Amino acid sequence: MLTPLEMIGKKRAEAVNRIISKGYLSTKRVYVGMATCEIAAGSKEVMEVFTQALANGLPDVYLSQKGCAGRCNLEPTVEVIEEGKIPVKYGKVTPERAREIVEKHLKKGQVITEWLI
Amino acid sequence: MEIQYKLTLCDGVSCIRNNSKELLTAIETELDKHGLRKTVEIHLSGCLGMCKQGPILIVNPGYTMYGKVNVEDIPMIIQSHLVDGKPVADFIIEQNHLYNRFFRIFGDTDFFGKQMRITLRNCGIIDPENVDDYLSVRGYEAIAKVLTDMTPKDVIAEVKKSGIRGRGGAGFPTGMKWEFTANQDTDEKYVICNADEGDPGAFMDRSAIEGDPHTVLEGMMIGGYAIGAKKGIIYIRAEYPLAINRLEKAIAAAKEYNLLGDNILGSDFSFDIEIRLGAGAFVCGEETALIHSIEGLRGMPRPRPPYPSVSGLFGKPTLINNVETWANIPVVILDGGDWFSSIGTEKSKGTKVFALAGKVCNTGLVEVPMGTTLREIVYDIGGGIPDGKALKAIQTGGPSGGCLPPDYLDTQIDYESLAKAGSIMGSGGMIVIDEDSCMVGLARFFIEFTQDESCGKCTPCREGTKRMLEILTRITEGKGQPGDIEKLERLGTMIQKSSLCGLGQSAPNPVLSTIKNFREEYEEHIHDKKCRAGECASLLSYVINAQCVGCGACKRICPVNAVEGSRKELHKILPEKCIRCGQCYEVCKFNAIDKA
Repeated sequence: MLTPLEMIGKKRAEAVNRIISKGYLSTKRVYVGMATCEIAAGSKEVMEVFTQALANGLPDVYLSQKGCAGRCNLEPTVEVIEEGKIPVKYGKVTPERAREIVEKHLKKGQVITEWLI
Repeated sequence: MEIQYKLTLCDGVSCIRNNSKELLTAIETELDKHGLRKTVEIHLSGCLGMCKQGPILIVNPGYTMYGKVNVEDIPMIIQSHLVDGKPVADFIIEQNHLYNRFFRIFGDTDFFGKQMRITLRNCGIIDPENVDDYLSVRGYEAIAKVLTDMTPKDVIAEVKKSGIRGRGGAGFPTGMKWEFTANQDTDEKYVICNADEGDPGAFMDRSAIEGDPHTVLEGMMIGGYAIGAKKGIIYIRAEYPLAINRLEKAIAAAKEYNLLGDNILGSDFSFDIEIRLGAGAFVCGEETALIHSIEGLRGMPRPRPPYPSVSGLFGKPTLINNVETWANIPVVILDGGDWFSSIGTEKSKGTKVFALAGKVCNTGLVEVPMGTTLREIVYDIGGGIPDGKALKAIQTGGPSGGCLPPDYLDTQIDYESLAKAGSIMGSGGMIVIDEDSCMVGLARFFIEFTQDESCGKCTPCREGTKRMLEILTRITEGKGQPGDIEKLERLGTMIQKSSLCGLGQSAPNPVLSTIKNFREEYEEHIHDKKCRAGECASLLSYVINAQCVGCGACKRICPVNAVEGSRKELHKILPEKCIRCGQCYEVCKFNAIDKA
């Protein structure tokens, strides 16, 4: 019989595996803020752009939502994390900016510095 | 040049004592030596809460954390890690490539540098709708630890040791509340999470739930285990649909994983959580009114004692805590009460979340260790006042709190210091006010809110707030009479002393504190019929000055035809017709209209 601590350890290992199987180890991870405040600022449309890009075959990207990190005046925010590189946060992302991020950053690896927080 | 490394150096009190300042100088010298100043950024962070291992240095990317670093070690670390790319194993106390979690926060150091996140530790980091994400960041490990090797008494002892106090506003010691409830000898008890966040401008609880709903559930489970309850209820207002939706998803997922329900994680502890929706009455944040609302009665408070810990929901012992308090509990269990009590001031431990709003550059959600000063929040984190305006006051605690003038900027944030300064911690609203705001108008706004939200059960609150509103309204309309200030003071003190619940007892605070700190503004309104901020419309007059070119723009826009004058000649505003709507002032391109 496992103790609760051993059981939770097992559950965590399974959880990590499930996250990895969803592509967590992709070169690039994209997080879109999706709390009430961010959605009000338009993050649903932004999320849609990234979802579409993935559906259209953008390779090697893990997409996830996240809660509010507290930067209310700069919302919606989008984070792009690349293993081994400095993560970047984009502020005030509109669907147009999101498309640009897909084209430049996610496809070609060019960080769009003027939109960074 | 592109930044290759970001160094974060802990700048907490304890690390400064351990020479973190010398360390900074040593790092800068070494970087200069290797010509790395342009590709390496150095940031100072607030206390990282690892004081025993300090000074702490974090190197990113890679989230390599070095502990107990001495000045002599710096050349070696810089050479090996930053030049050769090989982290120095001897000093590493934590390294986390996969989750890399706090770096995403520290990367944005202007805003996050002075913050320390416990309640919001996962907010903006994990996917709140995926229980796997929560599990991967030690989620539900605290409840597992409690079920494996802690008795309910151990849990309460740990919470007491942490020194955590209720985050809903009053600051009652959480451990004591738990102990009182645990000591009641009955078979049926309840745990309640108070998510009825009603202060205008406050959104801490909503964001905490939306960003990390499982933490709240886990905290409640631990509370249930400690006091011997099998049922938890989250009372949340119906106008938070996304938070409710995420809580529902979290409860369903936790049940599916056997983290909630019968025999949690194979133990003999069973616990269930349900959600009750509130209709948005401010008074239902008061615990006895909240209980009445859950019972299906009208949301009205009742006198205490008996406290809910003795006789609460359906007359049974009930443990009520605020969202933020619950979210802290898993951390207290996992990292220990000793660690938690090492953060903060002597009597206020841990961190506090504030919803920073108003006239400040970076509005948003901030979580700072207790003992941080108001100046650090407004200027270092908030980035100061926009457009070069002057700070006039800081309002904390929402409609129950007070306004502090700039003299109090160096006040530390903790329950006692804020109370001494004449405000309260409250649930965490913080509104920054600049010179363009009228303090009488602000006090009137809050009293209008509380008199509207007063449940009407006790006379001092029901009638008193109404009368205060009438007096304030007439002052802002220029009909104030000599003696009004004294009347407000007398009425306010009486309401504070004789109201039944916290709503009434604190309702006069915004008025009394603005009278105390900004009495001259009240006097100007009453005696000189002037509003220095230019906000009280009835006290304004618009006058056209010599710069007028007679373009007629003001005349065309005036809705009441109060502007006279022929084309290309000096125009004039008729004061008896003018309704002071300010449209002429907005439309004039020649600065020819004075507002006074």
